[in-house]
Amino acid sequence: MATTTLHPAAATYKSGLYEWLTTTDHKKIGIMYVVNSFIFFFIGGLLALGVRAELAQPGLQFLTDEHLYNQVFTMHATVMIFLFIIPMLAGFGNYIVPLQIGAPDMAFPRINAMSLWMLPLAGVILLSGFLLGGTAAAGWTSYPPLSEDRILASTGPGQDLWITALILIGTSSILGSINFLVTIFKMRAPGMTLFRMPIMVWTVLVTSVLVMMATPVITSALIMLFIDRNLGGHFFDPSTGGNAVLYQNVFWFYSHPAVYVMVLPAMGMISEILPTFSRKPLFGYKAFVFATAGIGALGFSVWAHHMFTTGAVFLPFFSLMTFLIAVPTGVKMFNWIFTLVRGQLTFSTPLLFALGFLSMFLIGGINGAFSASVPVDYALHDTYWVVAHLHYVLFGGSAFGVFAGLYYWFPKMTGRMLDETLGKIQFVLMFIGFNLTFFPMHVLGLQGMPRRIADYASGAGWNDLNLAATVGGFLIAASMLPFLWNVFVSLRSGKIAGDDPWEGNTLEWATSSPPPPYNFDRLPEIRSERPVFDQRHGHGAGGHK
Amino acid sequence: MSSSPRPRSASDLILIAILVVTMGALIIGALATGFMDGMFPPEAVTRQGREIRSLYDIVFWIAAVIFVFVEVLIVYSVLRYRRKPGQDELPVQTHGHNVLEVIWTVVPTVIVAYLFVISLQTLNSIDAVAKSPDIHIRAVAQQFRWQFDYLAEDGVTTLFTEDVATSDQGGGMHVPVGANVQLQLTSPDVIHAFYVPKFLFKRDVVPGITNRFDFTIDPAEAGQTFRGQCAELCGTGHRVMLLDVVAMTPADYEAWKAAKIEQAGATPAPSASAGPVAVTLEETAAGIKFTTKSLEVTADQAFAIDFKNEDPASVPHDVDIRAADGSVLADQPTIDGGTATTYTYAALPAGTYTFICSVHPFPDMTGTLTVK
Amino acid sequence: MTADSHALTTAEHSPIAGLAHDARGGISNPILGMLLFITSEVMFFAGLFGAYFSARAQNTPWPPEEFAHTLNPLSLILVATVILVLSSVTCQMAVNAIRRDDRAGFLRNMSVTVILGIAFLLMQAYDYLLLADEGLTLNAGSFGTTYYTLTGFHGAHVFGGVLMLSVILYRGMAGQFSSRHHDAVEAASLYWHFVDVVWIVLFSVLYLL
Ligand code: HEA
Ligand code: HEA
Ligand code: CUA
Ligand SMILES: [Cu+2]
Repeated sequence: MATTTLHPAAATYKSGLYEWLTTTDHKKIGIMYVVNSFIFFFIGGLLALGVRAELAQPGLQFLTDEHLYNQVFTMHATVMIFLFIIPMLAGFGNYIVPLQIGAPDMAFPRINAMSLWMLPLAGVILLSGFLLGGTAAAGWTSYPPLSEDRILASTGPGQDLWITALILIGTSSILGSINFLVTIFKMRAPGMTLFRMPIMVWTVLVTSVLVMMATPVITSALIMLFIDRNLGGHFFDPSTGGNAVLYQNVFWFYSHPAVYVMVLPAMGMISEILPTFSRKPLFGYKAFVFATAGIGALGFSVWAHHMFTTGAVFLPFFSLMTFLIAVPTGVKMFNWIFTLVRGQLTFSTPLLFALGFLSMFLIGGINGAFSASVPVDYALHDTYWVVAHLHYVLFGGSAFGVFAGLYYWFPKMTGRMLDETLGKIQFVLMFIGFNLTFFPMHVLGLQGMPRRIADYASGAGWNDLNLAATVGGFLIAASMLPFLWNVFVSLRSGKIAGDDPWEGNTLEWATSSPPPPYNFDRLPEIRSERPVFDQRHGHGAGGHK
Repeated sequence: MSSSPRPRSASDLILIAILVVTMGALIIGALATGFMDGMFPPEAVTRQGREIRSLYDIVFWIAAVIFVFVEVLIVYSVLRYRRKPGQDELPVQTHGHNVLEVIWTVVPTVIVAYLFVISLQTLNSIDAVAKSPDIHIRAVAQQFRWQFDYLAEDGVTTLFTEDVATSDQGGGMHVPVGANVQLQLTSPDVIHAFYVPKFLFKRDVVPGITNRFDFTIDPAEAGQTFRGQCAELCGTGHRVMLLDVVAMTPADYEAWKAAKIEQAGATPAPSASAGPVAVTLEETAAGIKFTTKSLEVTADQAFAIDFKNEDPASVPHDVDIRAADGSVLADQPTIDGGTATTYTYAALPAGTYTFICSVHPFPDMTGTLTVK
Repeated sequence: MTADSHALTTAEHSPIAGLAHDARGGISNPILGMLLFITSEVMFFAGLFGAYFSARAQNTPWPPEEFAHTLNPLSLILVATVILVLSSVTCQMAVNAIRRDDRAGFLRNMSVTVILGIAFLLMQAYDYLLLADEGLTLNAGSFGTTYYTLTGFHGAHVFGGVLMLSVILYRGMAGQFSSRHHDAVEAASLYWHFVDVVWIVLFSVLYLL
C-alpha cells in the first residue's frame, strides 16, 4: 500500500564521517546518542565491576585506597545516570518521536545536534578527574558540606569538574526537552491528534515537561555549590551560616522527577513492544496516558522521601505522596499485563526484554514502596536495600527497556535484523546475572550493611552474599559479549529487515528501513493510535469495539 | 480466545523449560539458604525497633502478596497466550475495560491508604521525644569517629565523655536496659548518620541542627553489645566510623557511670608506668596523613613523641599504639588542629607495633613502630 | 522526492514540512520554543529564590545589623529599575512597529532598547562597587551570597538578552524582518520581558520586602 519503495536505503548511512559529525538529521543524531550512551554504559559498567571486585571479600584488596573507592562508585553512578540512561532514552526519543508522529525532523535540528555534542564533552570533563588528581568522591548526590571540601581538601578539582559536567548535561537535556515539546506540539502529521499519539510519544512528552521544569532547579543547586566552593559563598556550609539540608531539598526536587525521566521513555518503549508482539492494542490507552501524566505530576511532590532521616522534613505529606505514586504505576503495570492477556505472543528478543522489564521493575517498584513508610525507611535508608531498589528500577526497568527497544528498532535504524539466538543468550545471561547481583543486596541491606563503604568486617556475616553479587556483576558483563558480537555481525551480514519486520503499529514502520532523509514519501491515513495496523488490517479489524 | 490444545513448537518448550528450571532453582535455593529469614530485618532490641519491625512485617506481607499476584499474572499470561502455529487470525482487539481499570486504580489506592495510616501511627509513636527522659546522651559525630557526652538532667551540662566508640577498645555507648534514653546528635563538620541495625533505626547527624530521638532497650538484652556504624557517606574514613551500644543492667550501668565520673574528675594522670623518657620522636599530621610512616625506638625504654597537628582546628588527631592483634597498648587524648603536644609512652618489649590515629584509623594515618 | 541530505538543511525545507504542520495555526515554533525556555528559566530562578528564602528564614535579623541600611531602594538602583522597565516598553514598541512593517520605527526602538539594557548593566556594575565599599561582598555571610547570586544571575541574563537583541538589531538592519516574518523578534522580546519581570520580583524581594 503506501509503503515507500526506496532504493536500499542503507546506502544513505554509508555517508562519510564528516557527514555524521555535522548532521542535523534526527535519525543520525538519535543513533549517535545511542552509541555514545552505550560507550558510557561500558565505562560505567567497568567502574561497577571495580566496586564489585573490591566488595567481593572483606578486606581491602582491589581498590585499596578508600578515597579511590569513593571516586569509583561516584563516577559509576554519575556516568550511569547522566551519561547512560538519560541520554540513551533521549536518543531513542530523538530517533523515534519524529517518525512516530509523521514529522520530517525535530523542530530545531541544529539545537538538537548541539544537545548531542555537549554530552561527550561533559563525559570527558567529568572523567578527566581521574587524570587530574582525583574525581568527585562524594557520591552521585554530592551532599555538602562533604562536597564543599572545606575540611578535608582531598578531592582536588574533581568536584568542580563534576559540577561543570552536570551543568553541561543539564543544559543539553533542557534544550532537548524543549525541542521534543515543540516537535510534538507543532509537527504532528495531519490526523495525528494528541490521543492518537503512540504511548512512546506521550512518555517523551511527559518526560520533557519533567526535564524542562526540574533540571533548571538542579542547575541552580550546582551553581550554588560552585559558588560556595570557589567564591566563598555561604549557601550550604553551616559553619558559615549556610544550611546543609537546603542542598538536599533542591537536589531531590530535581532528582526525584529525574528518576521518572530515567524510566518513563523506557515504559513508552515497552508500551510499543508489548502490543506489537501480542498483536493487540495497548490495553487502556487513555488510562495509560493519564497514569503517565499523573506520575509526572506526583513526581514533583515526593522529593523529600530521600530525606526522611534528616529530621528536617514534613514526614506525613511526603510519605503519603510517595505511597500514592504506586497507584498510577500500578495502573500501567496492569494495562501492560492485560495487553498480553488474550493476545498471541511471539517470543522475539524484544518481547523477552520487555517481559524482563515487567517482572523486574515490579520488584523495584514494590521495594521502593517499602521506603514510603517512614519508619521502615528508618531501617532501610542508606543500606544496600536502597542499592537493590535503585538497580531493580534502573537496570531491571530502564536498562532492560533499553535493550528491548534496541532489538526492536535496530532493524529500522540499520535495515538489518539482530540475531535472535544471540539475543536470547544475552537475555538469559543478563537476567540471571542481574538477579544474582542485586537480589542479595536486599538481604544485605536488611542485615545492616550500609552503602558506600569500601570494606566490611569479615565477621559481619555479609561475605557470601557479597561474593554472589560480585559473581553476578561479572555475569552481567559477560552477557554484553554476545550482545556486542551480535551488533557486530548483524551490521555486516544480518538478515535484511524490510520496512516492517515485526508487523508494527506505528508510523515508523510505514517508511523504509532505514528511513530516507525527512522520513516519509507518503503517510498512511491516521485514524487511530495504530495507523500502520489499520493500513494492514483495515480500520477496526479484529473485533475492535 | 478459546484454548484448544495445540502442538507446541520447540522454542516454546525450551522457554518453558528454562522458566521451570529457573523457578525451581530459585525456590530450592530460597529454601536451602534460609531465604525467608533473609527477607526480614533482625529481631529488634528496642521498644521503638520492635514497633518498626511489626510495621515492616505488615508491609512485607502485603508487598509479598502483591508481588506474587502480579508476577504470577505475568508468567501465566506469558505461558497461556503464546502464539500457536497456524494462528493467523488476529486475536480479539480489546482496547480496555472500564470496570477493570477502576478496580486496579481503587484497590491499590485503598492498600496504600491503609499502609500510610499504619505507618503514620508507628511514626508518631517512635518519633515521640520525652520532655524528661531518664538519660541524656549527646553523640558527637565527626570525621571519623563517635564521641558520647553523658549529660546531666538539664540535657546540657556534660558529666563525662566516652570518646572510645567501640567495645573491642573498651569503649562504646553504655546504656541501661529499660531506661528511656534520649540521644542528641551533633556534628561539627559534615553529615553523618547514627545507625544501629538492631534498632532498625537511623538518624542523620546534620551540622547546624541538633536531631534527637528516644530509645528504650528491652530488659532482656542486658549484657549484649550492638554494633552500629555511620550510615551517611562522610569521606575517606566513612566505613571506619564504627560504634557499639553496650546494654547493661541498671545496676551495672550505675557502677560504670560512677567510675567514669570519678575518672573524669581526677586529673588525667599520664600512664603511671611511663617512667623516664629515653628518647623523643617527632610526628606531624597534615591533610589527615602522618608525615612519617615508620618510627623506631629501643626496647624496654619509655619514650615520647612530639606531635604536631597541622590540620584545621576542627580536625583532632592522636597517636595511639596497637599491638599486632589490634589491642590498644596506649590510648592518648586527641589534640585539636593547629596545636602540638608531647605524648609519653610506657616501655614496650621488642617487636613490631602499629601507631595509629584513633580518629582516623585508616592507611594514611597508620604507621609502623619498630621496637628493637 | 528530491530531498538533498545536506547537513544543515532545516525542517522547513523538507518536502512535507509545508503540509499541515504550519497550517495548524497557533504560535510558531520559535515562539513556542522561547516560551518553554522561559518556563525553564523561571524554574532556575525559583531554585535560587528558594535558597534565598531559606537563608532568610534561618538568619535573623534579616538583613543583618551591619547591612540594615545598605540596600536602599531609593538609590541608583531605582534609576536602573526604571531604565529596565522603560527598555521593556521600547522593546514592545519595536515589536509593534515591525508588526506594522514600520522598519525605521523598529530599528529606532530596538536600538534604544539595547542602549537601555547596556545602561542597566553598567549601573548594576557601578552599584556593585558601591556596595562592596560598604562591605557587602559575595562572602559577606548568607546575605551577601544570596544577594550577589540572585542579582548576578539576573545580570547575566540581561547580558544574554542584550546579546540577543543586538543580533536582532543587526539582522533588522540587514532587512531580514517584515510584518510577516519576525518570529525571532517576538521571541527575543518575550525573553526581554521575562528578564524585566524577574528584575521587578528581585527588586521587590531584595529591597522592599
Ligand atoms: C528509574 C528510577 C526509579 C524509579 C522508577 C523509582 C520509583 C520509586 N521509588 Fe525510587 N529511587 C531511585 C530510582 C527510582 N525509583 C534511586 C536511584 C534511588 C536512590 C537514590 C540515592 O540515594 O542514591 C531511589 C530511592 C528511593 C527512596 C529513598 C530511599 C532511601 O534512601 O531511604 C524512596 C523512598 O520512598 C523511593 C521510593 C520509590 C517509589 C515509591 C517508587 C515508585 O514510583 C514505584 C511504583 C511502582 C510500584 C509500586 C510497582 C507497581 C505497582 C503495582 C503492582 C500496584 C500495587 C502496588 C502497591 C499497592 C504497593 N526510591
Ligand atoms: C542506570 C544506572 C545504573 C546501572 C546500569 C548500574 C549497574 C551496576 N551497578 Fe550501580 N549504581 C547506580 C546506578 C547504576 N548502576 C547508582 C545511582 C548508584 C548509587 C551510587 C551512590 O551511592 O552514589 C549505584 C551504586 C552501585 C553500588 C553500590 C556502591 C556503594 O554503595 O558502595 C554497587 C555495588 O555493587 C553497584 C553495582 C553495579 C553493577 C554490578 C552494575 C552492573 O549492572 C554493571 C554491568 C557491567 C557492565 C555493563 C560492564 C560491561 C563491560 C564490558 C563487558 C567490557 C566491555 C568493554 C569494552 C567493549 C571496551 N552500583
Ligand atoms: Cu560519618 Cu559516614
Ligand atoms: Cu525518589
